[in-house]
Amino acid sequence: MKLSFKKLVYGFVIVMFLLFTLGPILWCFTVSISPESEMFGNTTRFLPENPTFENYIQLLDFSSRQGKTFLTGLGNSMKAVSMTLLVGLPVSLMTAYALSRFDFKYKRAIRMALLITIVIPVFTTIIPLYAMFAEFGILDNIFWLSLVYVSSFLPMVTWVLSNYMNTIPSELDEAAFLDGCGRIKVFFVIILPNSIAIIFAIVLMIFLMTWNQYQIPLILASSLDTKPLSMIVADFTSKDLIQYGVTAAAGILALLPPAVVAIVFRKSLILGLTQGSVKG
Amino acid sequence: MQRDVQKALGFLMPMAIIMLGLVFYPIIRTFIFSLQRYKLTEPDKVGFIGFENYAAVLRSPAFHYAIVNTLLIMGIVLIVGLFSSIVVALILYGKTRLSGLLTAVAVIPWALPPVVNGVVWKFIFYPGQGFLNKLLYNLDLIDEPVRWLNTRFGTLLIVGLIVAWRTIPFCAIVFLANMQSIPQEVYDAAKVDGANSRKTFLYITMPHLMPSVAIALTNLTMSSINVFDEIAALVGFRNMGQPLLIYNYTETFSFMNFGYGSAITYIIMIASGVFGYFYIRSLHFGGGKS
Repeated sequence: MKLSFKKLVYGFVIVMFLLFTLGPILWCFTVSISPESEMFGNTTRFLPENPTFENYIQLLDFSSRQGKTFLTGLGNSMKAVSMTLLVGLPVSLMTAYALSRFDFKYKRAIRMALLITIVIPVFTTIIPLYAMFAEFGILDNIFWLSLVYVSSFLPMVTWVLSNYMNTIPSELDEAAFLDGCGRIKVFFVIILPNSIAIIFAIVLMIFLMTWNQYQIPLILASSLDTKPLSMIVADFTSKDLIQYGVTAAAGILALLPPAVVAIVFRKSLILGLTQGSVKG
Repeated sequence: MQRDVQKALGFLMPMAIIMLGLVFYPIIRTFIFSLQRYKLTEPDKVGFIGFENYAAVLRSPAFHYAIVNTLLIMGIVLIVGLFSSIVVALILYGKTRLSGLLTAVAVIPWALPPVVNGVVWKFIFYPGQGFLNKLLYNLDLIDEPVRWLNTRFGTLLIVGLIVAWRTIPFCAIVFLANMQSIPQEVYDAAKVDGANSRKTFLYITMPHLMPSVAIALTNLTMSSINVFDEIAALVGFRNMGQPLLIYNYTETFSFMNFGYGSAITYIIMIASGVFGYFYIRSLHFGGGKS
């Protein structure tokens, strides 16, 4: 009797957990497939009588005004992700290698200085960055925007990577040195192949962190040609508030890529999270 | 050996350029801005005024209002977040056929764009077509739609819950990793001594989880100080229920008052630096100590 009561409680907790985690997303999806007229008219019904994918079709159609806005945002987000990865990944790998394997003066200080920036709010750097970017005429430029993203997560990513590299036995390096390898060759032959798991996790984390940016582009890239998807979705909620369906559909489309990545590669992400114990 | 050091510097160089140019130099410039009268709308009146901006910020009722709002959000996030993340960690710790699925679900809120979290939850709390109002209406608990987001405390409560919702997965995973690292022998010994599951949790699991509690608390605190995206999506940049960063943003960029805004920024930075100190310390003791 006691066992079944325990099971009941456990089942209840799991249902609550699923409800609270997935419920809001499922509701947003419901809104996104409800025709506008039904959404307005009825305050008691939950599910639409005539579900429609009209809102999605509209968003993915480049010839409609909203579709154009949405798809431009999508393209901007993808550009930013590729540039951030292209710059951020090699730089963080090099930094982590240096911090994990070399011995030099001020190493502790450099590590500390990097770590401290993790807790500094975005606004501390963004005001002069805005002024600088305006001065050089590089506001609304996805490349420079991506560099700012890199600077914002580089410390965390480096921390995760160097923690992982520390677990690779240094005997491997020494054996390679005896074989006549230099520092650079060791980096490519020993360190990189042994870090594949964490590198993959880092790629995913960089993707998520870039995809989710809002404050930085709000200030540095607010023109339509450079706005990322997150800003487009936020614009829909504030300006086109009347069109619940389109807003909901835009939200669902914007959350799909990160959600799928999170579900499929959860093991990698958890490895990255526990390696650093820091949120991005 | 000398050449080795040079190589190390070579590996560090790209990072140094990016961080010096885009983080450390701006931090110093923000400080210089904060000591100036510097409004973009009045470019001819720029000048050094010492700590006057700081005095003005600290005296400003809007700033006090924003601090109280942030603290209220923080209170909700800390209580809801800490409790729920331990519960979620315990759910994930139980090895059942569902474990894989549950973990997959658990990481979703963490992975989503915070702005989209705001949008998604807006549909729950929307007055006319919101889920909660429909639910209450169907249960005959209300006749008129409730305007959840039209009051200061309603907004703060909802924002606190959403921010907790987004931060729980990370904290739960930290707790989970910690739980899995507790050696089985400790539990076996407790069993031999006749401890029941409640006692085992209180006297064995909880004390072992203390490093994670520190990480979780600081993380929840930092998330509460940095609330921005959810508010922008839920209610926009209005005055009511404005927390610190929204106040900072509107003062700086709506009024283009960079001097005053920089002073706000520095005050917030020092406050989060205090928490950040504990954060970095807990990183050294807790996660991934090398």
